[in-house]
Amino acid sequence: MSTAQSEPLRPLALSKEGSDRLRIDWNDGHHSVYTWRHLRDHCPCAGCRGEFEQPADPFRILKPSELNAPPLAPVNVAPVGYYGYKIVWNDGHDSGIFTLEHLRSLCQCAACAGNQQ
Amino acid sequence: MHPHAASGAKIDMPGVKNVIAVASGKGGVGKSTVAANLALALKMASHPVGLMDADIYGPSVPIMMGVPPLDPKTTPFPIEKYGLKLMSMGFIVNPSQAVIWRGPMVHKAVTQFLTDIAWGQLDYLVIDLPPGTGDAQLTLTQTAPLSGAIIVTTPQEVSLIDARKGLEMFRQVRVPILGIVENMSFFVGDDGKRYDIFRHGGGKKLAADAGVPFLGDIPIDPRVAECGDLGEPIVHKYPDSAVGKAYRALAATVQEELQKAGQQPELPGLQF
Repeated sequence: MSTAQSEPLRPLALSKEGSDRLRIDWNDGHHSVYTWRHLRDHCPCAGCRGEFEQPADPFRILKPSELNAPPLAPVNVAPVGYYGYKIVWNDGHDSGIFTLEHLRSLCQCAACAGNQQ
Repeated sequence: MHPHAASGAKIDMPGVKNVIAVASGKGGVGKSTVAANLALALKMASHPVGLMDADIYGPSVPIMMGVPPLDPKTTPFPIEKYGLKLMSMGFIVNPSQAVIWRGPMVHKAVTQFLTDIAWGQLDYLVIDLPPGTGDAQLTLTQTAPLSGAIIVTTPQEVSLIDARKGLEMFRQVRVPILGIVENMSFFVGDDGKRYDIFRHGGGKKLAADAGVPFLGDIPIDPRVAECGDLGEPIVHKYPDSAVGKAYRALAATVQEELQKAGQQPELPGLQF
């Protein structure tokens, strides 16, 4: 929980870096970068979290639609209230709401990635 | 369905200057009474005000404002009573009929109340939320341009526990908390003595612990229930009663807190 006195963490701008990365400039001066794959792998929706908690199915057979699917890409990133973003993916998945705190924790910049190791 | 209902995008309400959510963690603390009287007190301070009943399962605004069920095919909404613009599920559904809906339908109804009702120019739109931290609350925090939230509690610990949860929900979704109101705070008998029927001071302590403003306490008066049941809120019928004065003071404090909170900045989007 943020203190009443301190300015809460907030993005100032979102932009794309090339075709495979999202950049967020935060109000504390930090610049985050993420690959879209990283964000999709950390989708916080109940379905995806449930999937993460399951052991991998060794007998899973790919569907033809999965084999022919285009590379993963977002089709929309929209603010949700004052607290997060919803990413709509090109495979139709759209149920994950990434809170600002979650987004910040997923930052893949060199400094943050070092802290996570 | 309105596009906002599907996308979760923020609803634009350019004619409405301030949207105030009145919430509680627990049912039965008098949240609808506070919402109705606060709306009227703001109106009595010469502001155009609307009152939206977001309690889809248990709407209270029709009884409290003395409005019978209406024919939605022939009635233009919102309706007006005591100078307030009003919308409630209770205007559409017969009081004896239960609304048995899952979350997505509640989401749709609440969104439509915001988008499809011609609220016009309002200084304040007061939203009476259902108790708890469920679908209606999520829809409003995700889509409505909320200026702030007021948490209503009664003084005793069993109510405060749930009030803390409501408060934490608004914190997590970053809706400014305007403060806490302690309802049913005390009773002054004919002997002039004060009785703290449900204990006293819990709301003030909760506000201090949470670092949010304490907006005031509303005394108990049997006429509050009588006025609610007869469809004329106490601040309108008895504006100079102790409760009426408490609501008018609450309206003034809420206006001050809204000014202090300022406009919440929208999150930036991403261009595609």
